[in-house]
Amino acid sequence: MSLRDEFTKGLWQTVPPFRLVLGLCPTLAVTTTGVNGIGMGLATTFVLIFSNLFVSLLRKLIPPQVRIASFIVIIASFVVIVELVMQAYFYTLFKVLGIFIPLIVVNCIILGRAEAFASRNNPLMALADGLGIGLGFTISLFVLGCIREVLGSGTILGVFIMWPGFEPFTFMLKPPGAFVALGIVLGFMNLISHWQARR
Amino acid sequence: MRDIIRMVVVLTSIAAASGIALSAVYRITREPIEYQSIKFVKEPAVKKVLTGYDNDPIADRKKIVVGTDERGRPLEVTVFPAKRGGEVFAVAIEGRGKGYHGTIGVMVGIGKDGGVLDIGITSHSETPGVGSKVTEPSFTDQFRGLKGTVAVDALSGATYSSRGVVMAVEQAAGLVERFREELF
Repeated sequence: MSLRDEFTKGLWQTVPPFRLVLGLCPTLAVTTTGVNGIGMGLATTFVLIFSNLFVSLLRKLIPPQVRIASFIVIIASFVVIVELVMQAYFYTLFKVLGIFIPLIVVNCIILGRAEAFASRNNPLMALADGLGIGLGFTISLFVLGCIREVLGSGTILGVFIMWPGFEPFTFMLKPPGAFVALGIVLGFMNLISHWQARR
Repeated sequence: MRDIIRMVVVLTSIAAASGIALSAVYRITREPIEYQSIKFVKEPAVKKVLTGYDNDPIADRKKIVVGTDERGRPLEVTVFPAKRGGEVFAVAIEGRGKGYHGTIGVMVGIGKDGGVLDIGITSHSETPGVGSKVTEPSFTDQFRGLKGTVAVDALSGATYSSRGVVMAVEQAAGLVERFREELF
């Protein structure tokens, strides 16, 4: 596969929360607004790119018996860096995302990419893979966040866009609403793939 | 055996490298993080209790050492001075009192004459709907202009919470009295 394929596969074919159905915990928990989705997505993308790069660079050095421990140390370091930087320069976002930032360490997308891809490919490929999967994850969270924000509070990126007198479905902002939104988007994606396959 | 040595060496070096990198990032971000927590947690309360200043009380904040804790380390309190024409005329200082559930933090604005300008509750974990009413203006406004003994009407059903706020205000006023020379 070429670099381009590695990058674009993360945007549709293997887009994490919908196609791989991985990383659902942050996906469901933080996507109450579009901005939160972008923030969480970019934080994860940053960690994913750097963990992929380092895992790939060190892949010949790390003995297979301790590979998971090594990957986790690498991932955890970048997560702490993200956490400190966010706390220092994007405090409002940090307060919203809170506990979900440290939990990126155990996000199975990141360990999954390190184990399944970065540890078997060269650094350039690993970077392309990390960037693609990360962007796919960010876009997915943004879409989910926007759907829930529009229905749940009538706003999009904080601007009220529904008609006056619109009664928000606060249900959409609660955890069950996250599952409903995820299910609907997943269904539409399957429908589109189905049409494409028939043609 | 060689395998085991290799495992230990590789994992140890990875962990050491990440430790070094993290301590560097921590050093760089320590100051901004402290600033952010002051800006987002303390600043709204400071702005509420001080008025009529022409400086930035947050930027001009200073720490005073008020004593030592049980291990002998210095206990510091941050004070936010309000200046007009370069002259400090009031300070905001956070006092703590024991409420019904845990500690109540109160930001207190105190004028040069020792009188209370206004108070704002910064943190509490009182019962919602009962003790939490101490954060409402109908209760906090009573403290305006008080001097010397703090006597206010307690909220009915929330005696401990009311007393906690009074304790915090008295503590803050006491600190200002003790460090009057340093502050004004």
